[in-house]
Amino acid sequence: MSAPTKRHLPLLLGHNKSKAFVRNKGRKVEVQMTSMIDMFTILVVFLLMSYSADGQIVTISDALTLPKSKSDTPVDLKLEIQINNQVVVVDGDPIVQVTPQLLATGNSIPELVTRLRDHMEYTRRLRGTIEEEDMKINIQGDVAIPAILLQRVMSSCSEAGFATQNLEVIKHEGRAEA
Amino acid sequence: MAKAASGRSHRLRKTESIDLLPVMNLFCCIIPFLLLSASFLQITVITMAQTEGIGSAGAGAVANLARSEEDRLQPKVIMTDEEMFIGTVAGTAHVCYAVSQVVNGEEVITFDFDSLRTRAAEVHRLLSEAYPQIEFHKVTILTVERTRYDNIISAIDACAEAGFDQPGLQVAPSAAVRNATNAAMGR
Repeated sequence: MSAPTKRHLPLLLGHNKSKAFVRNKGRKVEVQMTSMIDMFTILVVFLLMSYSADGQIVTISDALTLPKSKSDTPVDLKLEIQINNQVVVVDGDPIVQVTPQLLATGNSIPELVTRLRDHMEYTRRLRGTIEEEDMKINIQGDVAIPAILLQRVMSSCSEAGFATQNLEVIKHEGRAEA
Repeated sequence: MAKAASGRSHRLRKTESIDLLPVMNLFCCIIPFLLLSASFLQITVITMAQTEGIGSAGAGAVANLARSEEDRLQPKVIMTDEEMFIGTVAGTAHVCYAVSQVVNGEEVITFDFDSLRTRAAEVHRLLSEAYPQIEFHKVTILTVERTRYDNIISAIDACAEAGFDQPGLQVAPSAAVRNATNAAMGR
């Protein structure tokens, strides 16, 4: 008996592959990318609309929920005061604990005034003079803080020489929420 | 072999496709960059007029505001725990009653700020007609101690839409505000 020809050898490798696979083996497979390009185009347009060349210059603490407003005045990088129902923080340093006694009276908070005056004095020594821009301060307040606490903080700012107080809010498009 | 009767070639034409791979590469570079630079929350500011300390009398600080004609005539939005008023030198008018709302499981007081917007616009129009030489921008938000910050901001927003875009804040004891508004309303 003659040796089996190459044709009669069992196909041990790839014997379970479909006929279609074997038939198209030499062809170049191309991924259809049109739909993906469409999706990416939409994504790029959306991201371009939210693009900010200035970047996020203000960091909001996790312990705060800023109120929403339709104000469109951009924020400048200034000294920051963060207020929630637990603590008043100046430039990252906790200054005053919010207690019922603190909310019982009005006017400025002495510890806060001292801290703000120190900052003002530091700026004056650093630059030799105090300009109008140095007298601005940004206040980040939680939505739930009572008016008396905000008023006491703002009074303290005024007393320490920060004439312009900016309340930081999240820009809200459309009608204001009740 | 002879040509077909139509004169056109019957050879199948291969459709030309644009190579989208470079576009895809570009997008893959642009999208992470844009994702990093995108700011989904835009922070803005409301510039406040200097606040003044309120004594136990409460209404005393209101008199200190009369520094100029505009200061004297500027309206005051008064928020108590029960209702909201808008007041000018000509008188005080009721705006709306406070409504209770549950937010995150907590009961909070809020107001109908659309009514305030309408009333404030009306006040602005009346003042501008009566005093055409003065541009009215200032408004004072006078609240009691417990008024929530988001209510103050909403009131400032409503007034800004009506033309009063220079807000100031005053806080007075509840009893003083209640007595003053009751007297103004003739109750």
